[in-house]
Amino acid sequence: MMIFAPVVGMANGIVLAGLIMLGLSLTFAIILLVASEKFKVPVDPRVTQVYDILPHLDCGACGYPGCSGYAKAVIADPQLLGKCAPGGADAANKIAAVLNLQISSSGPAQRPIVHCRAHTADRTFFGVYQGIPSCTSANALANVQACKFGCLGMGDCTRACKFDALHVVDGLATVDYAKCTGCGACSKACPRGLIQMVPFSHENMMVVACSSKENGKNTRAFCQVGCIGCGLCAKQSDAFAVQDNLARMDYAKFEPNGQNETAYNKCPTGVIVYRGKSAPAPREPKAKQPAPTS
Amino acid sequence: MELLYTLLLGFVSVVLINNLVFTKFLGICPYIGVSGRIDMAFGMGLAVTFVMTLSGTLTWMIDHWLLMPLGLEVARYVAFIMVIAAAVQLVEMYLKKFIPSLYESFGIFLPLITTNCAVLGLCLFLVVWGTGSLIEAVVLSFGGGIGFTIAICIMAGIRENMRMVDVPESLAGAPITLITAGLLALAFMGFAGMI
Repeated sequence: MMIFAPVVGMANGIVLAGLIMLGLSLTFAIILLVASEKFKVPVDPRVTQVYDILPHLDCGACGYPGCSGYAKAVIADPQLLGKCAPGGADAANKIAAVLNLQISSSGPAQRPIVHCRAHTADRTFFGVYQGIPSCTSANALANVQACKFGCLGMGDCTRACKFDALHVVDGLATVDYAKCTGCGACSKACPRGLIQMVPFSHENMMVVACSSKENGKNTRAFCQVGCIGCGLCAKQSDAFAVQDNLARMDYAKFEPNGQNETAYNKCPTGVIVYRGKSAPAPREPKAKQPAPTS
Repeated sequence: MELLYTLLLGFVSVVLINNLVFTKFLGICPYIGVSGRIDMAFGMGLAVTFVMTLSGTLTWMIDHWLLMPLGLEVARYVAFIMVIAAAVQLVEMYLKKFIPSLYESFGIFLPLITTNCAVLGLCLFLVVWGTGSLIEAVVLSFGGGIGFTIAICIMAGIRENMRMVDVPESLAGAPITLITAGLLALAFMGFAGMI
């Protein structure tokens, strides 16, 4: 029996210690309970409602730190409505309903378009770039590739994309429009400004996928599929205009009609392509015309 | 008079000579983490001072009136950390209600006061130093908080000026901060032996 004495003594201590800790924690629990009631911060119920509407992606396209930041801001200042690119018009309408506001329709959703269609095989290089694999540092070098305007294919835009919607395919940044939310991070990331946010009024948009402002001869010299500024498309359709040796589609005017289709087919380098969720593969460039004999 | 003298001596001692940050190297996490701007550092110092005073006093009472008479000194750590956690919760609620801007700028560091070793360290030092009376415990724990505030504010002032200085690239950021902290600690060694 003697052998149990210290154990019993210890057990008494355990019970006492346990009771004291229990008492202490109960006391503090009550104090905290009272305090939490007393110091309750009322949250505007609309903040929660707006936050629930937002897509919870925290992409930062609106310029606020995350969706909760935007929810607070938009309630304080309704002018900020419609800044949520991933939510689009749908979210804007729902937020407007919460805030008891009417909004005019904000137009079609914006999606990025990469204004280049040259894959690695179409381009000319003077050497091999072995520096830091990022477009921003490569762009600082003169002559990193022959085309001063085209895609560098090192994926700054891919890294900027939070939605896995942009990939470099054969050296060309390619948007996966099924995944794209239109947040615009890629257009800010591109050091050459190739990616433009465009209102997609149709599922597939017709695009002059080139940014070269060199004259036709030079563009032909370094790129198989560049825009040579010949103006054939502008003759066919009002939606096209040529400036600085470069044709551009006026996206607001785009309609899938016969004139645009003719321009698409007549383009000698096939630089007019469709971009969108179900875009057909780009046309092959026509064989170079033999020099006219006079 | 005797008591006042003791209290004053104890206060100066815990603020300067036995400064928790500079001589005991406690509470380094917020000392490095929140010392970027002087206003934030001051707010952090005040929050820590409040928690320290509250928990130092409470733990002294629990220790002397509850644990020691029952011979349960082993339960000190558990009981102390619980008091500190509750005090931090209180401060957090208070700040959220009355000074939301300070609450937002503290971020994660506010709940981290719970695990700020300077607070627990002070509560245990009160035992080690053999603090005899409640008033002494209050003054010493308040002094510990003031000492922390002084330390973090000095650091924040230096770091604000350091932003305009051309620091060698390999030392920029955390390394130069740690070197500064070391030099400051050395400087505070000069107070040793003052009392």
